[in-house]
This record gives sequence, C-alpha cells and structure tokens, in this order.
Amino acid sequence: MDGHIGSRNSLKESEESKEYDLTVAIVGNPNVGKSTLFNVLTGKSVHVANWPGVTVESKEGVKEWKGIRIRFVDLPGIYGLSSLTLEEVISREYIVSGDSELVIGLVDATSPERSLYLPIQLLELTPNVIIVFTKVDEMNRLGIHIHFDKLEAMLGVPVIPTSALHKKGIRELLDTIINISNEKKRIKLVNIDYGGLESFISDISKIVAESKTLKNYPLRWASIRLLEGDKRLEDLLTSNNELDILNKVQSVRDAVRRSIGRDPAELIINARFRYVSNITKEVVVRVDKVSSYEHIVDKIFRKPYIGAGLSLVLMLVSLLLVFSVNTGFPLNLIMRYIGLQEVGELIEFYSLNSVISEAFNMLSNQIKSSIYWYNPLLASLISDGIVIGLGSVISFLPLIFMTFLILAALEDSGLAPRIAISFHNLLNKFGYSGNAVYPLILGMGCNVPAVMSSRTSVDDSERTQMIFSAPFIPCQARLIVASALIAAFFRNPLLQALALLTMYLSGIFMYLLTGKLVRRAVCRISDKPELILELPLIHFPKVKVLWWIAWDYTKHFLKKAGLIIFTLSVLVWVLVNLSPSGMTADVNEGFAATIGNAISYILIPFDIVGEDSWKIAFALIQGFIAKESVLQTLAVLGESANVDDAVRSLNLTIPQAYSLILLITLYIPCLATVAVVYQESRNLKLTVVQTIYMTLLAYLISILVYQLIKFLMWVI
Amino acid sequence: MSKTLVNAAEGTKVRVIDIIAGQGLKNRLMQMGLTPGEVLEVIENSKGPVIVSVKGVTIALGRGMASKILVDDAQGVQQS
Ligand SMILES: Nc1nc2c(ncn2[C@@H]2O[C@H](COP(=O)(O)OP(=O)(O)OP(=O)(O)O)[C@@H](O)[C@H]2O)c(=O)[nH]1
Repeated sequence: MDGHIGSRNSLKESEESKEYDLTVAIVGNPNVGKSTLFNVLTGKSVHVANWPGVTVESKEGVKEWKGIRIRFVDLPGIYGLSSLTLEEVISREYIVSGDSELVIGLVDATSPERSLYLPIQLLELTPNVIIVFTKVDEMNRLGIHIHFDKLEAMLGVPVIPTSALHKKGIRELLDTIINISNEKKRIKLVNIDYGGLESFISDISKIVAESKTLKNYPLRWASIRLLEGDKRLEDLLTSNNELDILNKVQSVRDAVRRSIGRDPAELIINARFRYVSNITKEVVVRVDKVSSYEHIVDKIFRKPYIGAGLSLVLMLVSLLLVFSVNTGFPLNLIMRYIGLQEVGELIEFYSLNSVISEAFNMLSNQIKSSIYWYNPLLASLISDGIVIGLGSVISFLPLIFMTFLILAALEDSGLAPRIAISFHNLLNKFGYSGNAVYPLILGMGCNVPAVMSSRTSVDDSERTQMIFSAPFIPCQARLIVASALIAAFFRNPLLQALALLTMYLSGIFMYLLTGKLVRRAVCRISDKPELILELPLIHFPKVKVLWWIAWDYTKHFLKKAGLIIFTLSVLVWVLVNLSPSGMTADVNEGFAATIGNAISYILIPFDIVGEDSWKIAFALIQGFIAKESVLQTLAVLGESANVDDAVRSLNLTIPQAYSLILLITLYIPCLATVAVVYQESRNLKLTVVQTIYMTLLAYLISILVYQLIKFLMWVI
Repeated sequence: MSKTLVNAAEGTKVRVIDIIAGQGLKNRLMQMGLTPGEVLEVIENSKGPVIVSVKGVTIALGRGMASKILVDDAQGVQQS
C-alpha cells in the first residue's frame, strides 16, 4: 500500500534507483474527475512538484498492487494534444518521452461525445492506452447508457468504467494495468480517415520522413500535426536548422487553403470529432430523464442577476462563518452588542486561533522555564524564536484551511464557474475575466488561497494580474487590526461603519486598478481576457472531495511557505534579541528597536511624533510578518496585557487612526503572501517589485488621505 | 442569414459557421466541441455571457468571445 515516492528526477529515468516497476500517466479534460481518481488510486503517497522550469504542477504517487509497484503520473488537464497551451506541450512531451509504459485516457461518462476526443487523439500518438470512464454513477442517474464492451472491441484497447466516488472499477483498472504490460493488446495506432486531406498528409509524410528532429514522433502523427499547424514542432524544426523542411510543409498547408478554402486545423479537428461521433452513435444511448432538482437549481443560478445575488449571499455567509470559527470575530462583537457579554467572550476564547496561540504560549513557557537554568539564551531562542515561529505557521492554518474549504466547495458544487459568469461583465472593464472573482472573494478570508486561485485562469497575463493584485484584498487579519483601531478611536457608530466600508472598498479598488495596470503596462495587452468556461451540473458538494481539495492546497502551502515563514520568524527573534553589544534581554535595546527608532520618521507626515512613534513604526515592521502581530507588538511594547488598552494609549486622532488603517490595509499583507506570490509566479523580480509597489502605494495613499482629512477639518 | 452568437435568440438552435479569432482561441473552442458545422443550443443569452449546450456539455462564453462566433439558424436540423 505505502509505496515509495518516485523523486522528480525519476522523470528523466534514473535507472539505478527505481522505486517502482511500472509507470502510468493519466490524461483528461479539466473537470473530468482526474484528481478524484488519482487520489483514490494512489492514496496518501502523493508527491507534488512543478514540471521543470514552469509553474504547472505535477503530481505522482505509487500504488502497490499484487506485488507490482505502479507509479501514477498526473498530467495537466487538457482538451487536446495540439501545442497551444503549456499544459498541452507538457503532456505531449511527457507521453512521447516514453517515461511511462501506459497512458490512461479519461472519458467523462456524462459527456462521452465530447470527452472521448482526447483519448482518440492519444491513440493516434501511442497504442499503449487504457480508456477509463469516470463518474459512471452520475451517468446512470442521468439516463445515459454506454456499451463499454462494444467500445473496447471497436478500439482494441481496454475500456474500464469507474466511479472514484464509490470506489467502483478501481480493482478492475489496477488488474488491467498489470495484465496489459504482460501482453500488449494494441500494436497499431488509430488511423482516422481525414478524407480530402489524406493526399496532403502523405505529401507531408514524405517531407517529414527526412527530418532528423522529428524522428522520435510517429511519422503520420507528426505529419498530421504539422498540417494542422503545430507551434512546438515548428519551433523544433527551426531551432535544429531544418528550415527547408518547415518551408516545404508550409507550402503544402498553403496548397490546402487554396484548394479547399478552409484552415487545415479546422478540417482535421472536424474529422476527428466525426470519427468520435461515429463511435458514440454506436455505443451511447441517452434516455431522457425527468429534470431533477439539480436542473432547477441550475436554472436559477444561470439567471444573470438572481444567480449573482444568491452566490454573493452564499459566500458572505460562509466567510462570516469561517471568521467566527477562526477568531470569534465578528460573532463575539454581535453577542456583546446584544448584551450577551459572556457568550461573546466564550466564543472568542474557544475560537481556533485563540486555542492554538494559547497552546503555543503554554508550550513556549514550559520550555523556557525548564531549560532556563541551563542557558537563558538557548531557552529564549527555542521558546520565543522557534516555538513561537512554529506557532505562527500553525496558527495560520485554520483560516487558510477553511478558506480553502470554501474554494473547494465552490469548485466541487459547480458554483464557481457560475459566479465567475455573473461577474464577468463587471470585471472585464478592469482587464480581468470573470475568473478574477475568486481571488476577490477568497482574499477576504486569506490572501494565500486568493493568490493560489489565480490558477483558475487560462490567460497567462490574467494569472500575473491576479497574483500581483490579490494581496490588496483586505483579509481577516487586517479586519481585526482595523477593528481594534476603529473601536479605540471612533466613537460614532456611523463613522465606524464608514471607516470599515471604505477600507474594504479601497482594497478592492486597488485590486481592480492594479490588475488593469499590470495588463496594460507590464503584459502590454490591450484587449480584454475572454471567458470560456465549462458549466458542470450543480450538485451538493461531497465532504470527502472537499477534504481532499482543501487538504491538498493546505499541504502545498505548508511545504512551500511554511519554511519561509518559520525562518523569518526566527530571524525576527534574532533582531529583537541581538543588540550592538551582544545578546540582550531588553526589547528596547535590540536591533529591532534601533530599526524602529531609525524609521519612526516615516510617521512624521501623519504628525505622529514623540516617544510612542517608534512603537508604531516597529509594529508596522512586524506587520510584514503577519498583520495580527501589529496588535500583538503594540501590546507587548505598551506593556499592557490588554490589546485595546495598549492601542488606546497611543492617543491617535481620528484622521491619524484612519490613515493608519489604510496604510495597514494596503501594504504587503504578510510573509506568507509574499512566499506564495513567489511560489505561484516563480519570479523573484515580480515578487520584489510587488512588495515595493504595495508598500510605497500604501504609504503615499495614506499620507494623502491624512493630509486631506486634516485640511478638510481645518476648513470646516 | 448568418449572424454572431451574441445575436442568437435564447432557446433556439444554431449551427457554427466559423470562428473569427486567433489560432489559440479558435483551436481551444474547437477542441471543446465547437467545430464549424456543429449545432449549438442557446440556453441563456440576455445580459451576461452566452451559455450554450454542445455535445452534452454546457459552456459559457463571454460576450466578446461570442461575438467572434458566426452562426446561422439550425431550427429543425438534427443535432449530430
Ligand atoms: N458523481 C461523481 N462525481 C465525480 C466522480 N469523480 C469526480 N467527480 C466530480 O467531478 C468534479 C471534478 O472532479 P476533479 O477530480 O476535481 O476533476 P479534475 O479532472 O481533477 O478537474 P480539474 O481539477 O479542474 O483539473 C468534482 O465535482 C467531483 O466531485 C465520480 O466518480 N462520481
């Protein structure tokens, strides 16, 4: 069961340390049920990495079955094997590389007419294919019948119906995988009749046969691909000095256009779909079933305004729920307002965040007191540096995990694309497509999932826009800091609400505006991103699937960003405890205090001067690690057990407090976000520029706002 | 007779004639089943993106995208 995990290098066939006997690649359309099947097949032994040099993720896992260790490699979700997207190129190159003995081509049993297209294309490239139908449970419900045996006979490769959700067909699949390697069933590739194009294909075959570059590819396949126009193969020919071959191919393509009058790619794709539909006509029977409740829900969510409104309410409620479970906020405040003071405190006390931080504080104190006698410095390093650092990674987790749960529920239920549709027109005005709604919503929970949700976009430039701009969305941590400042310095409830509202609006506005700016100025694209989205039937999300998706994302975050956060937390400990004259126990003497003092002049434009200013400056620096720590730091420096008192003791005016809220909202949210921006963009320069951009912008805007309010108040 | 998908009435069936877009977008749509000659059912077409059903799959297309798809009426034509 627990097979070893093949290392990423094993993609390049490292013979000496093979930890598996057989490699099977899995290919399928987006949303076909690939992740679910992969999870069921490999269990927990999954290794996640990126394909070399790109941000596309690769997953592999090993499953031992009847003594044979099968390594599954999950290829990116794709619609075809042309080379128009990075995902297609990766999948194709991997299949051609021969690293895998077998390829599983997935077909969505609820839409075989469309999804059989990809496996048929596979069969043009390699005969070692197993066709696996997913979601057969759903198929039965929808009144679709498929003659799997007949299909098997027609195609000459194994066809296995499965339902990953009900663990049906998994044994059969594993058995087939082991047996097929003993006696390969199919030796020849599928030959689709391309009709009028056949003579052109044979012309190109003669040309391609002379190419050294393309001899790794099946001749007929490469010829068809070149006739269709294949960026990747053309680049290969160009870079290997076979331009003459490319030119000859081009002239054949021109001849097709002249004699038939249409684009060869269109004719070829059409012919392939005709081949598919000739098969499905024989093996698929659809019996119309009466519309189920899903269809009715579907209809409601499809209506432009009703759908958008409903989704918005749904998401806000889930976010509030997450907030409350995580920190008790804002449920505790509501309870307090309606007079249930004690209930409010209970909620706050038993919230996840407080339980976790309490646990780590206890652990930290325990360690400190037990090894203090041995070496005070070591005790402090372990308890204040390492344990608290670990604690800050872990206390992030509940919020991140729960926000991922929302994302998972949106994805799994089929609501996500519908929400994207409702917001497409609005977001399009800012150079985004409807997909940009995910960072917007998730960001209010936590910016880490928001940045990661950029993966939903198929437009590279839009992905960059999302990664770059998502950290502007005010997350829960900022909400907490802002609320503390508002509660301390704003008396009027109307002003309080106004301050909170404008804080959100400014963050969202910057997200939108920056997106447009990045598209225009950085990516230099003037047209708007298009929206092409598949809409699966709406269904109630399945807990198991939610757990998989959310845990997958969280693990990813922990691995990549956890180490960075931890290291920097320890670094901060060093800064706090190291003084020019060696280690120090006094916070006021450390390098951190020196830095705080040195930069406290940045607060002069806010008229914040005097002895307390360095505390705010230092708290702002701490805010780079995590926004919550702004309050924590103020409490520690104010030598006050109660955060509210500590904040109040700063004696800020309303304009000062408000501009500080804006500053805190708009500058870089936390280290975790910086880490994830790097992880998603794989671009150090972009990450640095982003951090500087946000910080500078936040500073300038808040100064401007402060001076403006001051001026207005003076006029009045 | 021909028009773009944006002008197709809700509830009708239309046949794709051509897709006037760059190679990337065009191929993506075709691989998703929107090939010339294919019959689409227009499920939703009012304010937001146009929603069509093709080969048993429901697909939403932004209005910009939809305006690049030339179609003609296919009332009474058997869906292949
Ligand atoms: N009824 C049913 N639904 C399934 C089954 N397997 C997957 N699904 C659903 O299909 C949807 C897509 O599943 P995923 O596993 O995320 O699909 P994927 O191919 O990895 O999709 P991407 O993550 O978009 O690439 C989810 O809503 C699943 O709940 C199944 O066996 N039966």
